[in-house]
Amino acid sequence: MENKEAFDALSEIRDMMAKSTKVLSLSGLSSVAVGALALLAAFVAGWLLAFDGISQYYKLKLLVAGAVVLFALCLLVVLLFAKHKAAKNNIPFKFDMTSRKMMWYFFLPLVVGGLLCGAVILQGHYGLTSSFMLVFYGLALVNLSGYSFSNIKYLGYAELVLGLVDCVTIQHALLFWSLGFGVFHILYGILFHFLYERKKD
Amino acid sequence: MKLGLDNINKAFESKVRLGIMSVLMVNDEVDFTTLKSLLELTDGNLASHTKNLEELGYIMSKKQFIGRKPNTSFSITEKGRVAFSEHLNALEVFLKNSIKQ
Repeated sequence: MENKEAFDALSEIRDMMAKSTKVLSLSGLSSVAVGALALLAAFVAGWLLAFDGISQYYKLKLLVAGAVVLFALCLLVVLLFAKHKAAKNNIPFKFDMTSRKMMWYFFLPLVVGGLLCGAVILQGHYGLTSSFMLVFYGLALVNLSGYSFSNIKYLGYAELVLGLVDCVTIQHALLFWSLGFGVFHILYGILFHFLYERKKD
Repeated sequence: MKLGLDNINKAFESKVRLGIMSVLMVNDEVDFTTLKSLLELTDGNLASHTKNLEELGYIMSKKQFIGRKPNTSFSITEKGRVAFSEHLNALEVFLKNSIKQ
């Protein structure tokens, strides 16, 4: 056995272990884009809340509908960026066992949290919505990190802490929301891009 | 040097078999199609290697039907896990020795 053969064997082993357990096509830039969308949405929401022309009930309906549209838009953005990154770096982009696992563990806390938020809104505790969103999103990210880049968990921890601080703070819900979904995403995305993605180019 | 060479398992000298074992080391159960796309192989090629590893007792297969489609999934056996770990150790020893020289 030659030296080179041994090294090739080791890199093949590492490659296969990573490829079969982790989705590596998630892009740091999609995090920046999602953050920017969230900030824009928060700005519109803030303007809507301050607007006097329409009733509270109607405002609430608009906000919930807006949040659902925003969520769908963000998923689309993440998907498009991932597809682009996969094509560029020759990483598999398939709906396979690994990505199915990743999605299951990401959406499980997210769907439970979403339903809980719905219930909280229906019962009129609007102030808690933002902290529930942050906490459950944080859990979803920590869960996801086992099936993708493991440093995603740090973004998850940050969202969790912010969500918990938010739930003991009265008012400023929109500010916490913008910080968690907007600023944190942008910061994480920039860091991730420069630390991991730029090196490979 | 000699020690390393003795423990290097001939069964894992093929890149494909090495790949199959690596995937099964870190996943409970992997189906044929997934394994095929991960290793970028044809049906026949993968089948001959899995058959080979199964005969050695390193992996086991489970055949079932999903709807009408037959589906085979593979998992590693205890014997396979031990053999692969020993192979990894042998690689380590081999590389350590070659650095010393």
